[in-house]
Amino acid sequence: MTDLERVVTPGARLRTLITAEVSHNEQPADEWAYQRSLRPSRVLGDLWRARQIVRTITERNLRVRYKQSVLGFAWALLTPVGLLIVLTFVFGRVAGVDTGGIPYPLFAYIGLLPWAFFAAALNTGGSSIVSDKALLNKSQFPREVFPLSAVAVAGVDAGMALVPLVILFLVEQQAPAVTTALAIVPLLVLIAFTTGMTLALASIIVYLRDVRVVLPLLLQIGLFATPVAYGLELFPGWARLAYCFLNPVAPVIDSFRRTVLLGQAPQWDYLGAGAVTAAVVLVGGYALFKRLEGGMADVA
Amino acid sequence: MSRSQAALPGSVSATHIWKRYRPDSRRSVVQETLSAIRRRQRRRARWVLRDVELEVQPGEAVALIGLNGSGKSTLLKVLAGVTHPNAGQLDIGGRIGALIEVRSGIHPDLSGRENALFYGTVLGLSRRQVMDRFDDIVDFAELSGAIDRQVKFYSSGMQMRLGFSIAAFLEPDILLVDEALAVGDVGFQQRCLERMKDVLNQGTTLIFVSHDMAAVEAMCQRTVWLDDGVIRSDGPTADTLGRYRVGLEEKAALLARLLDDPVRMTQLSATSIDEALPETGRPLLLGLTLASEMSGPVDLCVGVSEGPATPIFTLTRSVDLRVGENDLRCTIENLPLPKGRYYVWLGAFGPGGSTQMPWHPAAPLDVEGPPRHPPPRGVMQLSPVHVTARWDARGSESTSFQREPTDGTAAALLSPR
Repeated sequence: MTDLERVVTPGARLRTLITAEVSHNEQPADEWAYQRSLRPSRVLGDLWRARQIVRTITERNLRVRYKQSVLGFAWALLTPVGLLIVLTFVFGRVAGVDTGGIPYPLFAYIGLLPWAFFAAALNTGGSSIVSDKALLNKSQFPREVFPLSAVAVAGVDAGMALVPLVILFLVEQQAPAVTTALAIVPLLVLIAFTTGMTLALASIIVYLRDVRVVLPLLLQIGLFATPVAYGLELFPGWARLAYCFLNPVAPVIDSFRRTVLLGQAPQWDYLGAGAVTAAVVLVGGYALFKRLEGGMADVA
Repeated sequence: MSRSQAALPGSVSATHIWKRYRPDSRRSVVQETLSAIRRRQRRRARWVLRDVELEVQPGEAVALIGLNGSGKSTLLKVLAGVTHPNAGQLDIGGRIGALIEVRSGIHPDLSGRENALFYGTVLGLSRRQVMDRFDDIVDFAELSGAIDRQVKFYSSGMQMRLGFSIAAFLEPDILLVDEALAVGDVGFQQRCLERMKDVLNQGTTLIFVSHDMAAVEAMCQRTVWLDDGVIRSDGPTADTLGRYRVGLEEKAALLARLLDDPVRMTQLSATSIDEALPETGRPLLLGLTLASEMSGPVDLCVGVSEGPATPIFTLTRSVDLRVGENDLRCTIENLPLPKGRYYVWLGAFGPGGSTQMPWHPAAPLDVEGPPRHPPPRGVMQLSPVHVTARWDARGSESTSFQREPTDGTAAALLSPR
């Protein structure tokens, strides 16, 4: 009770009295430490039970985004089409990129689509936990639901962005090649890589908000460092494989162009390199996320 | 040591729960960890829950009370699985519906209908299950005309009603309610209590955090008092609330002695006639001595409370104080209080409302007499008042009134026929 003499303001009095009585030096016994099970079977089971929630949150995010806007979902097309116009002018006309005989808009748009998906997922998914704080603070479902929903929203947008692609094919009077069916392989690699990166980023951003600020810049640089506007051939032959390990989006785009536009099979060595990285990032990103998940509600 | 789901539906078992938050929220977690590593010291901890034990049986209604910052909401969040404890073991049986910060789960850009669907699925129901209850939710929230409007155009009361109805109609095994009633108007509060009672009757477990002791008394047979992260008392509501009130008032009274106000109470006696103990329905004599540094008229207020600062009744009298000691006597003709422990509060206010002696608890008051009668479950009784009543009952088969002589308390029973 010695603290009492020091207290002056009436409001502070009661608090001080109470805190003076207890010490905070106690510790829980070590054997009581709380441990969550992070066994893969448990984690994946929890996620499976929460699949409805992923769907609901995805739907909510899609609905909310275009409320009060006149054009609504048409806005999902704005980014890829706008970028396409810029790229066509700068790289197609001014720089004159070699496309191997493909009309430049088609060439560029096939590159833009995967990149736009990747960038959108990272952009919204990275901050998905921080921005859905209200829900985070009153729910107990696995937290990866938030970034996974962001990936799903980006996927829906990418699906919408297929409409301009169809128009482009019509305008250029060209049809997708038969080998388009093979595009499922690079698509899986892309989804795995995007999901892994989004999970990792989402968990890191909770603790290190700085990342959220630099992310748009990094994605901007990535757009030009990835063969979106130009071909993978621009890289010297000896560096290509290493580059594909570093940036799995590069072989994914190259594979899309080969399968959809050129009627070829993907370059399996490059795509394989990208797939290895994508798998590592997916598993590593998910593991990191689960590690950091415990404190998210306290920090976000 | 972990969170398991093996327990009986509706039961809660929490043992050795410890939870700490970061001591300095101004720095980021990363900076803090780095500096702790650099200085090679253990991170300082601010424990908000220390070795908390809570066992709740299915269907039980338990209230959590305590001052702001005592850890009530944190405990609720730990039970809800929103946040993880640092130590301890949790066994939660069944589905949890948490009403924590009611409005925060409601998205302003969605309509009421979309929110109900969304929140229902988030709480673990299928769309079909939510739709089955949809009409009940809308009816209860009184939103039939507004359910397709965006929630941001709702008044705060409407948002609160929507949030409460969604959670209350989704039939969880355990319902956690944190200060949910604070926003609603009186009518809605009463219906919330009614609804919680129905939910309890269906066998749902209720854990209820509130500062409203009348609501706690109305809902819960058992109350847990958390004080700075430690359980101070866990038992029947009447016992815990009694201890809590005494604790609060004693603290406030202790503080009041440190005040250096112009007028101070130096002595207070409360007796019945002939120096007997104060008793229900008999006169109460209050004798008090005031030390004054000022002279002139003041309004002297005397009140009796059972909870902190909210008196059951007050009496005001204008008195002329002289510098020095002033003796005053006040006689209350029939003390309208049932048996229990109360506090006498005092305050003196000068002309124009200037405070000469702040409103503060001056001394405890123990009253002897007949025990109080609890109100029916789900009904809030604001303060205990002793009322003399006589009952006349006539059954359908008898022709005359059955007259029941009473002991003078309000709740004499009808004679069974």
